[in-house]
Amino acid sequence: MSLLDVAGLNVAYGGIAALHDATLRIGAGEIVTVIGPNGAGKTTLLNAVMGVHPGQGGVHFAGKNLNRLSIEDRVRAGLCLVPEKRELFGSLSVEDNLRLGAFRFRRGPRAAIRSALEEVYALFPRLRERRTQHAATLSGGERQMLAMGRALMARPALLMLDEPSLGLAPLIVREIFRIVAGLRSQGCAILLVEQNARAALAVADRAYVLETGRITLQGPAAELATDPRVIATYLGG
Amino acid sequence: MAGLRRAGPVLLLAAWLCLPLLPVPNFWITLANYAGIAGIVAIGLVVLTGYGGMTSFGQATFMGFGAYTTALLTTQAGLSPWLTLPCAMLAAGLAAVLIGAVTLRLSGHYLALGTLAWAVSLYYVFANLDLFGRNDGISAIPPLRLGSLALTSSRAYFPVVWIAVALVLLATRNLLDSRAGRAIRALRGGTAAACSFGVALPRTRMLAFAYAAVLAGIAGWLYAHMQRSVNPTPFALNASIEYLLMAVVGGAGSLPGALLGAGLVTVVNDLLQDMLPKLLGSSGNYETIVFGALLVLLLQTAPDGLWPLLARRTPRPRPRPLTGGAPLPRRAMPAPGSTVLRAQGLRRSFGGLVAVNDIAFHLDAGEIVGLIGPNGAGKSTTFNLLTGVDRPTAGTVELLGQRLARATPQRVAALGVARSFQHVKLVPGMSVIENVAIGAHLRGRKGPVPALLRLDRAEEAALFTEAASQLGRVGLLAEAHRPADSLALGQQRVVEIARALSLDPALLLLDEPAAGLRHHEKQELAGLLRRLRADGVTILLVEHDMDFVMGLADRLVVMEFGTKLAEGPAAAVRANPAVIEAYLGAPP
Repeated sequence: MSLLDVAGLNVAYGGIAALHDATLRIGAGEIVTVIGPNGAGKTTLLNAVMGVHPGQGGVHFAGKNLNRLSIEDRVRAGLCLVPEKRELFGSLSVEDNLRLGAFRFRRGPRAAIRSALEEVYALFPRLRERRTQHAATLSGGERQMLAMGRALMARPALLMLDEPSLGLAPLIVREIFRIVAGLRSQGCAILLVEQNARAALAVADRAYVLETGRITLQGPAAELATDPRVIATYLGG
Repeated sequence: MAGLRRAGPVLLLAAWLCLPLLPVPNFWITLANYAGIAGIVAIGLVVLTGYGGMTSFGQATFMGFGAYTTALLTTQAGLSPWLTLPCAMLAAGLAAVLIGAVTLRLSGHYLALGTLAWAVSLYYVFANLDLFGRNDGISAIPPLRLGSLALTSSRAYFPVVWIAVALVLLATRNLLDSRAGRAIRALRGGTAAACSFGVALPRTRMLAFAYAAVLAGIAGWLYAHMQRSVNPTPFALNASIEYLLMAVVGGAGSLPGALLGAGLVTVVNDLLQDMLPKLLGSSGNYETIVFGALLVLLLQTAPDGLWPLLARRTPRPRPRPLTGGAPLPRRAMPAPGSTVLRAQGLRRSFGGLVAVNDIAFHLDAGEIVGLIGPNGAGKSTTFNLLTGVDRPTAGTVELLGQRLARATPQRVAALGVARSFQHVKLVPGMSVIENVAIGAHLRGRKGPVPALLRLDRAEEAALFTEAASQLGRVGLLAEAHRPADSLALGQQRVVEIARALSLDPALLLLDEPAAGLRHHEKQELAGLLRRLRADGVTILLVEHDMDFVMGLADRLVVMEFGTKLAEGPAAAVRANPAVIEAYLGAPP
């Protein structure tokens, strides 16, 4: 059984269709990437799965129908989205941002949050150095690390990353992708939307191509990486 | 269909003006007059608050200036009421300019509190000066006359009010759909972008403030001649709050919303006052409680006001044509090889942190230079120093032979420097094409008065034609009429480039233009930048995509921790061990 099952999902903004009959599935512990041009509906897809934007059609997560669940309930079910603009709490410290990521465990034992925090710091040692700093003072790479770390504090079964390498220097991009690959080994499935198609296809198990709201190609990432249509538009020779 | 769109509002007004001819009770006509007058004030608030992002608790006070002006001039000086209308508008406008001169430098809730203070104190001026008749006010104001007919009854006054409403509505629509109007609307979308394209912020804020006050002055004039007496109470703080409420209930982001809100608040208030005592069998100010509850309910269900809910069913206004304007004059590009920009010893420290540390570099005409370096190296701060957004702690910037000592972003823009922003700064509610037209702000001249009278159409057509051609250049012409914030983030960045090109820049500063773009889109962008270079435009870009920047830039400047780490041709920089260590990483 797949972890996330999107079947015939339609999303419209004020009458204009942004996503048309999208069908996609992700297995547990799998990394799946969605590539496509700007405005194709990739962010819309992530937002609809997260419940940020209402969509019509079936979205099932771990066998459970998500359609009627609020965003909070979807987080509780094990979904987490790292948005394109990061959306950090700028006037809070790095550590408080992380603690807020574990909001759904607020009634649970403190030790659990503590250990989650330690895991995130182990993954992103830079965040430990900056733990008392305001999030607004972080550099672009640190901001992305914090956004990912905050999402991981919710211990998601599926982490959705929207453009994690956006605006980051090459060294940091490499670091982020190394961490993404590492998360799979911990059993976290990842849905990745990424401008850097080459890096995304290298790290992913399977891939979908989304163009003008429709899924036009799909298959194992390694296969798509050699597909001439993908090479021409998204990878370059 | 197009004919109907044009004739529709006129027919609607004609039908509405026939209302007094129907056997409607006088009471309803009077209520409609009050609603119309309030609607005019609320329209001013749509401009000021809904579009300009400034909250005012002083609109009833400005209404008072209009009302007392006509009251004094007609009763003391014996002027005809028709002649006092311009005086009333002038008095309200002048009061706004004086109050604005000392208050408008405040922003956010400080500005709101400032207008509140003025409203409270000016109320006591009205109520305590003998000239204004103290608390009793001024009575026996002459009615408006048409020939020998005195417009004393509600039915006779109705057309006056509603023709005024129609004219105000038309003028305000014209204003918002103009060069000056776009500047007002840009106040909401982050002022950094607006002033980087030459919008003079203080003047634009003043324009919105004074315009709203002039409308309130008109409303005061109408009120005075309808009541034929004035006293301080209707111009007190409570009334100001009510006008703000009307704008919010109707939807502060739309002109029809102001009328809807004014009508609804006026009618519901009155109905409740009338019916509740009958229903409850006792008298008391229950209407305030019920009204408050209704309001909470409404704002919970329709936080943007009621009009946006209805607007889905009304036809959208026809988009402006994007062709046919006269071509705008183009700037003479600097001679090839001449120095466009020279920064020397540039330094910016924030407290103890030195974000930019003695940076020196230059740009020659017609070259593309890449500014690269790790996140947090000071690239964006450098951009801000070059564009007048931020001032250097030390060092100089020389732009096209001129020293920029204390230059504002407006002046830098006027010299021919256009930029895009790392974090997209478009005006959210405005269409893509209007956002791009802001880039051409300095290439137009027409101010608010020609805009109100629609004498700016030739220039507007030229600006829009230019904006559309730049939008076509970046491949987004098909999205011209969509709201800017409905585009994907990568597309919004490209819209920012089109906006920058509309300035007809000699120097283009791009902050991560390729971020979020796909390979194919990046190639198209690179092609565009090469064509611009061939046209003589000088380009400085911050970019992290090395394939993109290496293939494009003539030279690279590398920054780390605020200092210049390396400079030179792309291939040399790429092989530089220090750059590999700090930024690129070893080749895989």
